[in-house]
This record gives sequence, C-alpha cells and structure tokens, in this order.
Amino acid sequence: MSIYRLSFKNLKRRKLRSALTMLGIIIGVATLVLLMGAGTGMQSYMKDQTETMMGDVSIYNSSGGAYMGSSGDSYLNPETVSKIKNMSQLYDVKEETQFTTELNRTPLYVLGISNWDQVKINGTPGVVIDQSLADKFGYKIGSTITIKEQEFTITSITQQGTGMGMGIVFLDVDKALPLNENKVSSITASARGDPEAAKKDVESQVPGTMAMTQSDFTKQIDDMMNGLMLFIGAIASIGLIVGVISIVNIMLVNVTERTREIGVLKAIGFTNREVLGSILMEAGLLGFIGALIGLILAAALLQLAIIFFGPQLGMEDITLIYMLPPWLILAVVGGATILSILAGLYPAWRASRLNVVEALRYD
Amino acid sequence: MTDILEIKEAWKTYKMGAEEINALQGVNFKLEEGSFLAVMGPSGSGKSTLLHLAGILDLPTKGGVILQGKNITELSGKEQAHLRRTQIGFVFQRFNLLSQLTAEENVMLPMIKPDKKKAREILDRVGLKGKYDRLPTQLSGGEEQRVAIARSLANDPLLILADEPTGELDTANSRMIMDLLTDLNREGISIIIVTHDPMAAEYAHKTVEMRDGKINE
Repeated sequence: MSIYRLSFKNLKRRKLRSALTMLGIIIGVATLVLLMGAGTGMQSYMKDQTETMMGDVSIYNSSGGAYMGSSGDSYLNPETVSKIKNMSQLYDVKEETQFTTELNRTPLYVLGISNWDQVKINGTPGVVIDQSLADKFGYKIGSTITIKEQEFTITSITQQGTGMGMGIVFLDVDKALPLNENKVSSITASARGDPEAAKKDVESQVPGTMAMTQSDFTKQIDDMMNGLMLFIGAIASIGLIVGVISIVNIMLVNVTERTREIGVLKAIGFTNREVLGSILMEAGLLGFIGALIGLILAAALLQLAIIFFGPQLGMEDITLIYMLPPWLILAVVGGATILSILAGLYPAWRASRLNVVEALRYD
Repeated sequence: MTDILEIKEAWKTYKMGAEEINALQGVNFKLEEGSFLAVMGPSGSGKSTLLHLAGILDLPTKGGVILQGKNITELSGKEQAHLRRTQIGFVFQRFNLLSQLTAEENVMLPMIKPDKKKAREILDRVGLKGKYDRLPTQLSGGEEQRVAIARSLANDPLLILADEPTGELDTANSRMIMDLLTDLNREGISIIIVTHDPMAAEYAHKTVEMRDGKINE
C-alpha cells in the first residue's frame, strides 16, 4: 500500500466529485480533438489525394486561371500544348479541359479529365454526373444528357458536387475537348528526375505557362490549414483550460477536507515530498483519465461524422487514421495530464506545508 | 538501561496574537528503553506538546530533543520523517485511520516494504483475525483503536506514543487496549501514553504529572 495507490483510492472515494471534475477535462479534450482531428484529417487527406491524383507537375496558363477547380477561362494555346508534349523531361502527359455551360437554365460545370481516380464513384471512364443533377432532372444511369447540343449516355452518378447549385459533368477529355473548341485548361505530367527541375524547365522553355509540383500544392494546403488549425486549437483550448482550473479548485477542496488525513500521513512518517507527490498524482490522474475518455468520445464522434458527412464532402475513403495521428493523441493526452499536474501544484504545496500538529487537530 | 529519549530544558512558545503562551517551560525528561510511562495533567498543561516533541511532530522553541542519540533539531525534514516512520508508532485518541482503506491496508500504509503477510500477522496479534478487509466504518471503536495500534507496529518501532488512547472508548474496550499496550511493552517496546484516565495510567510503570508546562515528578 503505497501513498501513490492512495491517490487512486481517493478518486474512487468521491466518485461523483471526481467524475464532475473530469467532465470539464473530457469536454475540453473532446472539443479539441474533434476540431483538431477534423482539420488534421482534411489536411492530410487533401495532401494524400494530391499525391495520388496529380501528376508530378501541373501546368497552367501563366495568368493563373484554372487550378484547384476555379473556372477555366484562361487556356493553354495549341502551340504551348504541343511544346509541352514534346519536352523530353516529361512523360505520361495528360490534358484536361473545363468549361461552364447551361442545361435548362441550370449552370453546368463540365470537366474533361483523363485521370478517373479523381471521380470517386467507381473510377469508370464515361459520363458521370453529380447527385444534384440527378435529383433535379430525374436522371438515372443510362439516361441521356445533352451538353452543347451533343447527347451522352450517363454511366454513373457521383456524390461529389460543387455545393453551389451548379451541376457537374465529368467526361473523358477526348470527348470534352471538341465541346470546348479543343481548348486545354491544364496539363499534368510525370517528370523524369526532379519535379522541381521539370517545373523550372517548363516555365523557362515554354512562355506563358505556370507549373506547380505536388509539393507546391501540399505547401498551399499547409499554408491554408496551419493558420486555421492554430486558430481552432486556441479556441478549443479554452475549454480545456476551464477544465484545468476546475482541477485547481477541486484539489484545494480535497486537500482542505483531508487536512487531518494529511496530518496522519505525516505523523506516520511520510515526507513532505511524498505528500506533495500523492496530491500531484491525484490531480494528474484526473487529467489523464479525463483526457482518455475525451479522446475516445471525440474518436467516436469523428467516426460518426465520417459515416454521415464523408460522402457529401467527397471523402468516402477518409478514415480515422487521417484525423487522429499519434502526435495529436500524444499532445492532447500528454498536454492535459501535464496541465492537470500543474493545476495540482498549489494545492499539493499547501498540503505538504501543513503543520502536523495543527492538521491532527483539524475537524 | 540506556535512554532512548531525552528532552533537555525544552521550551515551546506559541504566539496567540500579541500574547505568548509557553506550553512547555524548561522541561527535562528521560525515558529508559523498555519503560512504560503515563503523563497526566489537566488540559493545557503541556502534555500533548511533550508527546509531539517526543514524536518529532513538533520541534522545541528552545532546548533539545535527543532520540536514540540523535538531536532531532539538527536533522533535515526528510531525516525526521524517516525516524518517525521507522522508530516511532503513533496512536491517537480518535484512531485516525484512513477511512478509504481496509484494516489491512491501513496497517500496510506506513510499511517501508509493503508486506501483506506481516500486516495480517500484526492484526492477528491485536486480536483482529479475519477482519483484514473491513473498512474502519465496519469496525467498533475498540477495533478501530486496535487497527491503529497495529498500524503503529508496522515498522517494528522502538517507541509507541499514545495520545489519550482510551479517550473515546468504554471501560471494557479501554482495558483491552491497555492490556494490549502492556503486552507490547513486555515485548520490549517503550511506551508513553498521555491520558486523563486514572485507570489507564495504572497500567504504566511510572506516572508523571504535568502542570503549567512543567513536570512534577
């Protein structure tokens, strides 16, 4: 029976009080993990997708225009396209085209692609429309859709959408190019050797182009998400801090209530340091157990979010591993425990400094 | 016989606001190994303060306390705690068991090396065979005090200090506790009890009377 096992017993002795104190930590940790997890998940998922979907280098008109789904009104001219295709540094060169049109007064965004991994329904090349179009016009697989006076048979329907009241149609780039006067929006290609070098070669050898590598994209994602995550983290931490303050409060009450008991512990020979340690341990346990419960709660909620919202966001294959990387788990559980131990410092110090004779007289 | 405890010209002064109270006024006192001493006297005579000095729960304002040849005022807090833990057993008027621990766990608590078997042997010795897993609330006052005595024996002390050990017990239980202390004394443990109870004092080999912070032998 060591004095540290006593810390466990003390938490069990006042179950309701311990549970309520932990609740603050649980809510704080759960909020933090939920928000940070969702952010981290999106960030690493987007980066992952960038790596699987994009070629080593993506090339656009230097006016910027058509990357990351913005509407393409600046195109690569045919001369540029053929120059790029002829570059020895590049292989597996794929064109993409995108344009907007109308279908019965509904704006339509047409994407001609060659990389069908991007359309996460089954990846089958063909004519894929989004759910909003299917809902609006009653299209089914096998129905006919008319784009710029040409008829196509719908082969598939995807959950992916613009979310802005705009319908999307994915077509094979070969079919889409003629509809868009053979104008190419962007080119993706694999690089022989260093993508950075290939990027520089393209930009210097083919005037009027702008090239981006995968790491440019991931850097952009990081730039966008890191600031956001910091902000979210700071807001969510407020909950955790409130929880930690409640630990200071409750440990002060515990120590005062147990004044006599602390006197007894000292009288039977425990040192000030041991008394200090046992109180810190108790505070740390409150934080640690609370953080674990909060973490489990957040993981369950994130899993539910994946099940219910994943498809709508076009992230059917996102998993919990994206959202809860080990560093996040360690940082949150470790952080909450350390903060709780710090919260116990003042109460523990007070307990360890108690005068034995006075403490034994305490009622 | 050697002295295990010597208190030399000890003063203890408390400040109560502007007023100074001398709880001990130059007390001189020696305890031979194996003795059984009762300290009596009215409330406020300084007998508990004397016990606190003997048990290193408190230090004298002036003078010295020598326990087993060591001047406790010269020891660090950690050394004092270690001496308290290994050489001294405390028994209090209000038992002061830890309510969340069983009888056995209370006995094991101060042990340097937790030893369940030994804890049970000690509980057997104080007459609590089979009540190892009882919580203090499941024990009578007399039983609680016996657990407290068992706890004081956890590290085989040289000296047991008991502050009004029968103060909250009826006559039958008081006798049982004093019989138990007498047995322990026969086994070689020195004992000091502070008491108001003349019956309890009868068990001691020697009784000293305190008044106004001084010993009248």
